[in-house]
Amino acid sequence: MMDRTTKALTGQGIALSFGGIEVLKGLDVQFRAGEITGLIGPNGAGKTSLFNCLTGAYTPQKGSIRYDGQPLDGLPPAARASRGIVRSFQHVALSPDLTVLENVMIGVARNHHAGWLHAFLPTGRGRREMAGMRAAAMAALSELGLAQAAEKLPAQLPPGMLRLVEIARAIVGKPDVLLLDEPAAGLNNAETRDLMRSLRRLASPDLVMVVVEHDMDLVMSICDRIYVLNFGAFVAVGSPAEVRADEEVVRIYLGSDDE
Amino acid sequence: MSDLFRDLFPLVWSGMITGCLYALGALGLVMIFKSSRVVNFSHGNVAGFAAFLIYGFSSGMLMELSWGAAVLLAVIAVIAIAFMTYALISPLVFESDLTATIATLGIGLIAQGATLLIFGADIVSLDLPIPRFGMSVLGLFVTGYDLTVLAVAIVTIAALFFVIDHTKLGVAFRAISENPFAAEVCGLNLRSVHLFSWMVAAVLGVVGALLIVPTTFLSVTTVAAFMLQAFAAAVIGGFASLPGALLGGILIGVLMNLFTFYVSPEFSSTFLLGVILLALNIFPNGILERVGGTRV
Amino acid sequence: MSDQSASLNGTAVGQGRLALRPEALTWAVLLLLLVLPFLLGGSWIFTLGVCFANAIGVLSVSVLVRYGGEVSIGHSFFAAVGAYSVAVLDTRYGLSLIASLPLALALGVVAGVAFAWPSRRLSGIYLAVSTMALALAVPEMINNMDGLTGGYEGLYVSQPVIPGVKMGLQRYYGALIVLALVVYGLSRLRRSRQGLVLLLAKAHPAAADAFGTRRVWARIAVMGISGGIAALCGAMLGFAGSTVSPSGFTLWSAIFLLVGSVVSFYGLTLPRALIGGAFLTLVPQMLSASGAWIPVLYGLALLGVILFGHYLPRLRALARRKGGA
Repeated sequence: MMDRTTKALTGQGIALSFGGIEVLKGLDVQFRAGEITGLIGPNGAGKTSLFNCLTGAYTPQKGSIRYDGQPLDGLPPAARASRGIVRSFQHVALSPDLTVLENVMIGVARNHHAGWLHAFLPTGRGRREMAGMRAAAMAALSELGLAQAAEKLPAQLPPGMLRLVEIARAIVGKPDVLLLDEPAAGLNNAETRDLMRSLRRLASPDLVMVVVEHDMDLVMSICDRIYVLNFGAFVAVGSPAEVRADEEVVRIYLGSDDE
Repeated sequence: MSDLFRDLFPLVWSGMITGCLYALGALGLVMIFKSSRVVNFSHGNVAGFAAFLIYGFSSGMLMELSWGAAVLLAVIAVIAIAFMTYALISPLVFESDLTATIATLGIGLIAQGATLLIFGADIVSLDLPIPRFGMSVLGLFVTGYDLTVLAVAIVTIAALFFVIDHTKLGVAFRAISENPFAAEVCGLNLRSVHLFSWMVAAVLGVVGALLIVPTTFLSVTTVAAFMLQAFAAAVIGGFASLPGALLGGILIGVLMNLFTFYVSPEFSSTFLLGVILLALNIFPNGILERVGGTRV
Repeated sequence: MSDQSASLNGTAVGQGRLALRPEALTWAVLLLLLVLPFLLGGSWIFTLGVCFANAIGVLSVSVLVRYGGEVSIGHSFFAAVGAYSVAVLDTRYGLSLIASLPLALALGVVAGVAFAWPSRRLSGIYLAVSTMALALAVPEMINNMDGLTGGYEGLYVSQPVIPGVKMGLQRYYGALIVLALVVYGLSRLRRSRQGLVLLLAKAHPAAADAFGTRRVWARIAVMGISGGIAALCGAMLGFAGSTVSPSGFTLWSAIFLLVGSVVSFYGLTLPRALIGGAFLTLVPQMLSASGAWIPVLYGLALLGVILFGHYLPRLRALARRKGGA
């Protein structure tokens, strides 16, 4: 069993199917705090579906999900978010009406609670709240090297930078669980290297971090543990070295992907 | 008990008759929505304009034509209007269904204004050449109007379903309402199917509007008000199911009749609002979605 | 949903570039309107007061489009709630706007939330259709509650806010102040936490969910705000226009509010709201001799602005290519 001091996001027997097609076939996972966990597998293996089950966007037909021993089943996405379970999206999901800074500020919104009066009237509390959110967002942007883009609209930025904004929004609220869906997609080599450095800096004993990624170099170099998913089931779990040595994994990757 | 039956049966029967007409209106709305994802808010105003045109062409106000010729001319006119409407908003349809829906309100305003400009705000009476007789069938008083409406509705709806099931355009219509992108990839022309549904809808609207006139009278507002029931019928049917719209129309007709008789004739629009909100909550995908699959 | 809002915004963003330093323009317009009663005659003052009230109504529809990505043709209902709050308190209890305006706002918000609740999971066209039914139900509700509302005849609003000051000036400045406050409140909203999450919920409901904002909450909140502003519009229509009757709250008046919103490119600034309000107030006045032209003109304006908004980016691109060659 898991030891008492380490928090973890665990799933037991998670099964999901759409119209009779089994997308996830009873998965057992344990994502531990203090580790960076990689989730890899060919396209359509069920990686994003697993993320959606963890965040509450999908309701699995079977199985249960717990964080730090507390069951999350039945909680809607917004309620899981307020428990500190946060994700980034594979397809960048920023508001086109908001500046980069404002989009990132939304990442801390769940930690603030000033009422409607403060939204419409120039109250001290409303101002302080916004100033606090702005400072946090600016720090997250600086961390990812995006400070100079803060006042730009998403439409004015290249896709790679939008991906980083998406990640900034996920990390700004100091989440307990951070689920990153293909954070390096669309980034060039230098940006990917910077991202890897930032993610490693972010890792802390209290943070559960899970990364779905196609970039094998990134996964192999930053992850402590790797889950390999294929056709909705895990084919291998282990350290990067173990996974790299696994014949089944090699076969899947040589057989179906260009990696 | 016998009192209840004495009132109930005629109410249900006449509700079904008007319901058929609501269904004609609803079928048009649903056809347009299924193919082009646009809610045509101009449906009622354009149909009302057409009803006035028939009056104008047959009464000697604009022309003095025979009744059949007047109807034919009006149908040609609404087909032309549908064509122009679609030509105007088609660039929007491919961009944003909500913007295109707002644009149909503009068309509706113009149709309303044109009716007022040409025919004025007065109530006119439009006589239809409907056989005038009445007979008692199993204690139910059935009029020539009832039978005419029933016959026209059955023929029209049967023809519509035949066209959709068996002609090339109908098959294309079904394919496009299932999956526009796949259909386009397969070489179907979206625009021609959109046009087909807009024109058919316009004709259905005229038939419905024309047959509802004898139950009330003809004014700028009557047909547009009639179309609210058509909208309600479409909503009950899920807005994307033709059989659902048909069933919704009849249901609305009967419910409205029962409500106005037993509860209050003065709150009919409020009642419809309640029905729409209730239907959207209980059957968000339409009444047939729960019972079984839809055919078209 | 996202494609709808994108294009609605495309129009708005394109327009934003035309505006010169919006803050300065707003202050200049406000200053001009504050001194205008000293320059103009009484009938103009009256018309402008109604125009301000209509501008508030235009804002209520634009808020729904901007923050909710939704279209309503039922805002005459919320306006009627506001108008009758003012008129009933005025005629029955002799209470002035000071008491009735907060009530109108509160009832408008409640009505907006109450209407949004059953339709909270609906979007786009379904909401539009149910607002149409809402608008059609308004006149019969008013007429059938004639004990309270005065029925078809309507009610006359006559209580001054500040006794002794000329009523014409009160009607004008009252409407102007409320309009300015609504514009100010909306500009605050845009920079508030709630404003940010509502805008994300409009563009990407799933993303908003993932960051702690339930989409149902967002939908209801936007309808509440919009309903409250629409009720303020109704209240000021009653106060500035001095009479309240069911003929002012029909499906057509609701559609006209949408027309005003489209004509102002869904703008939430003072100048844009005034454009919408002026369009709704001045066009009927200029065409009062031939009322049938009003719907025709509104329809043409609606189509014209929408098509203009649609083709604007293409025209720009064309102009740029020509300029470059």
